[in-house]
Amino acid sequence: MSKKILICDDDEGILDMLEFVLEEEGFDIIPEKNSLNIYNVIREQHPDLLLLDLWMPVLSGDQVLKTLRKNPDTATLPVIVISASTEGSLIAKASGANDYISKPFDMDQLVTKIQTLI
Amino acid sequence: MDSLNKGSFIFSNQTSEQDFELMTRALDASISGVIITDNQQPDNPIIYCNAAFERITGYKRKEIIGHNCRFLQKEDRSQKEREILRNAVADGKSCVVEMRNYQKNGTLFWNELYMSPIKDAEGNVCYFIGVQNDVTRRKNIEQELKQHQDQMERKIEERTKSLRESEDYLASIVATVRESLVVLNPGFNVLSVNDHFIKTFKVSREETENKLLYELGNGQWDIPALKELLENILPTNNPVEEFEVEHDFPHIGKKLMLLNAHRIELEGQFKDRILIAIEDITDRREIERRKDDFLSIASHELKTPLTTIKGYVQVMNRLLPENASEKFKTVLQKTGIYITRLNNLISELLDVSRIQTGNIELHKEPFDFDKMVAEAVENIQSVTKTHTIILKGSTGITYVGDESHIVQVINNLLSNAIKYSPEEHQINVYLSRVSDFVKVSVTDTGMGISHEDQNKIFDRFFRVGEIQQRFPGMGIGLYICSEIIKNHGGTIWVESEKGQGSNFSFTLPLN
Repeated sequence: MSKKILICDDDEGILDMLEFVLEEEGFDIIPEKNSLNIYNVIREQHPDLLLLDLWMPVLSGDQVLKTLRKNPDTATLPVIVISASTEGSLIAKASGANDYISKPFDMDQLVTKIQTLI
Repeated sequence: MDSLNKGSFIFSNQTSEQDFELMTRALDASISGVIITDNQQPDNPIIYCNAAFERITGYKRKEIIGHNCRFLQKEDRSQKEREILRNAVADGKSCVVEMRNYQKNGTLFWNELYMSPIKDAEGNVCYFIGVQNDVTRRKNIEQELKQHQDQMERKIEERTKSLRESEDYLASIVATVRESLVVLNPGFNVLSVNDHFIKTFKVSREETENKLLYELGNGQWDIPALKELLENILPTNNPVEEFEVEHDFPHIGKKLMLLNAHRIELEGQFKDRILIAIEDITDRREIERRKDDFLSIASHELKTPLTTIKGYVQVMNRLLPENASEKFKTVLQKTGIYITRLNNLISELLDVSRIQTGNIELHKEPFDFDKMVAEAVENIQSVTKTHTIILKGSTGITYVGDESHIVQVINNLLSNAIKYSPEEHQINVYLSRVSDFVKVSVTDTGMGISHEDQNKIFDRFFRVGEIQQRFPGMGIGLYICSEIIKNHGGTIWVESEKGQGSNFSFTLPLN
């Protein structure tokens, strides 16, 4: 059975592109534009990995991540932070991400990072 | 000459004739000219002159006996001394004047004339005696002296004027300057402040001048660190530079002030005074912060769609059919290159703005230095088809520094090496530990850099002229590199020969 990846980014272009590319790689993709829905989606669909943008309206990626880490059910969920912010890697590390990749990224690299974690 | 007989001078009552001759000889022996005029005759004619008079005036006795003295003035008749003489004659009084007189041959001489009347028993003036001295030399010296004095006075006047002017000049600068200025004495009492200070801090001179600096307002300047710096100014002549004071000031509220303080030196004077210049940088700092925020957001927003484009281009590369034309492949490859370039430009723009405002923040954390370099090389290699990057050496060091910034430096050096060696195919990276430093060298065999340009390539916005034509860019990459390395306490440099490639190296201290 193929692995499920939840992608949360407020930019539809990136969501579409990642969905397109990662499906090609054989992953099941759950795209999510609204970070407020993440907890529900995780609870209902049990993704194997979360690709998480940082800079999102209302609820930012690092806030999401910190909440996830506090919850025993999601504390070990592999999370890769993807961000265009220069401080992205630091924020990712501080919030408990497993890995980080900066936008714009090389697709092969992203796939390698995903495969390392799941 | 009885009176001189037997070697002793005896004034004789009998030999008046001899006495007269004695007197006449005595008068002739005098160096002063002597004339006698007869006031009882019309126009006061000269009735006697001695030898000295002849010598001084150049006139012979026979030429002047019977004349009035005025011939001595020739045409120079408007001298005010004549008036004094006339009055003395009319009143029968004595007088002394200095007059311009002329010798027979026309030569000017200054005549110091002492004139005194001889009166009879009834008090009528019978004669005038004039004693004349040629004081031309003295007069000349006096005049020279006067000239010198005048000159000196003029000079002093000029100097005073220029001093006054430069004082006005300084005062107008002090009044115009858009900084608050405070002059302190060695006891840190405020001697004076300029108008701008009064305006900026909304205070009066009375509550400011002659007060201790540290007691002004609500103690805004009473900062131990500032105190220490100020106390060092006079003894060491070390200025206080760019000292920031953020404070809730009375009347004007929370402000950020920038302080500079120097010992005042003005032509050796005032060495015991301190000048403080205060600039309100509250607004400037706010604008800088907003600019940084704006650039941060802008670069983030620009990078987001770029991520999508880059992703799709990579998809296109994967979907590329086996039999795709070379043209199509080239187009795809070039698109990839330009996406990378655009991404770099966006990052550089953000970085250079931060460096300019001094806001480059280092997030230091320990990381595996060799692994970091290897990954950076791998990343660049993965998108480089034209060159092979060969990494040699190792440091075995866990370095404490800002990893993402140092990666940026290596990326920049590598992409430069690739960019500027289009005819070559190999780039060498050498990693080593030297004493208590780590060293990274990136060597290409490309076009190289002239010695003249080597000094400038780490400057902001510098581009080698001919390079600008072939490889457009902002010319800030190496500037950013050098700032990042500097911020880590390291050095970056280049060794290169034109046409033979370049070797860029940097070292970072381990402590």
